[in-house]
Amino acid sequence: MSTFVMAADQGSTAARATELLDAQMNNRRATVDRMFAALLVVQYIAGIAGAFAVSPYVWQGKERVLHLHVWVAVLAGAGITVLPVLLAIFRPGAVLTRHVIAASQMLSSALLIHLTGGRIETHFHVFGSLAFLAFYLDWKVIITATIVIASDHFARGVFWPESVYGVANPEWWRFLEHAGWVVFEDIFLIWACIFGTKEAQFAATKQAEVEYLSEQEQLKSAALEMALSEIQVASA
Amino acid sequence: MSARRRVIVAGLVIAGLTWAGTIVAAYQVVRRFETTPGVAADASSSWPARSTLRRTPGRWSLVMLVHPHCSCSRASIEELQAILEKAPHTMRTSVLVYRPSEFPAGWERTDVYESASRLPRTNVIVDRDGREAQVFGGFTSGQTFLYDDTGRLRFAGGITSLRGHAGFNRGTADVIQIANAGQGSGKHPVFGCAISTPEKGNVQ
Repeated sequence: MSTFVMAADQGSTAARATELLDAQMNNRRATVDRMFAALLVVQYIAGIAGAFAVSPYVWQGKERVLHLHVWVAVLAGAGITVLPVLLAIFRPGAVLTRHVIAASQMLSSALLIHLTGGRIETHFHVFGSLAFLAFYLDWKVIITATIVIASDHFARGVFWPESVYGVANPEWWRFLEHAGWVVFEDIFLIWACIFGTKEAQFAATKQAEVEYLSEQEQLKSAALEMALSEIQVASA
Repeated sequence: MSARRRVIVAGLVIAGLTWAGTIVAAYQVVRRFETTPGVAADASSSWPARSTLRRTPGRWSLVMLVHPHCSCSRASIEELQAILEKAPHTMRTSVLVYRPSEFPAGWERTDVYESASRLPRTNVIVDRDGREAQVFGGFTSGQTFLYDDTGRLRFAGGITSLRGHAGFNRGTADVIQIANAGQGSGKHPVFGCAISTPEKGNVQ
């Protein structure tokens, strides 16, 4: 707290700083919610288009039927997308909204990885999504996303190991090797979230102090004007 | 609680249940689809005499059956490339690409076909109505046969771990190991679209 602010007024300035910070963060997080809602819808459409492009049909000799991946892209993609989009519309800025968005974004990554046949390039979607989630400046969202993607790998490692490791009986700890790279990125993103929040706190405190000092100056000016007018009245 | 608020909460609860249900259902459906292998080959223990493919005596031979429109077979071609890089370069490799006779020429010219054509030391042959696939005893796209220098079957199976998933798997590892060691044998489930069905006794 600045030395310009009297100790007695520090409480009200701190309260104003908290109010400014909350408003700024709420506004920021509501904006990011809306950006993710748009992104999730775009990913949903891209998933369907990708499924049609990569694997449109399953063939049996000369007969063909629509590939399961197309159905999964349409139905599972919709199921993953609908809740976070509704929350972003009706509960923007809420804690639950960004955690559901984080989980859904990771599930979208898992779905896209699957629709592209486990292509290593699609795994970059996970890392890009984590970086985007850091826009919330809430490190707990990064943790939620990490738990979801690690759980996906752990569950598949237990029940469906070939889809992740190519072998039917990998060591139980193999998911940690994959999750380790996500944790590596998390370290920097969590630090960025904490650092960004501190910067926002600092800026809010400064703004509250400026508001306080400006208010004090206005009061002094008003008192001075009143004294001057009293002197003019007395001298007249 | 106002009526509007109740509607919003009810909508979000339904969306939440749909969200959770979709995730569980999608995992189950996709897992079942991708882990269910195609029909295993009914191959004889040696190079089929009825085959029109010529085997070079004294050299190992690898034959792969492919349905050109099977998206899962892209992964099989990728794995075949990995095998060709690590197996002895003297091995003769043939990819038989299925085409029904009533379909026009060029129907088989898909990205799978083009990928197979770019493989080193590999002959890509159009298999009209899957006749050669039938002679070799294979029913599923991605089915791979490895014969030793005497024409004895050493490996029969797929070279992917799931439908459409390239990457390390036991089938590829076995083919590379057997071809390099010059001994041993192996089998592996095959994942891909059907070229024909054994019940019908002939190709479609």
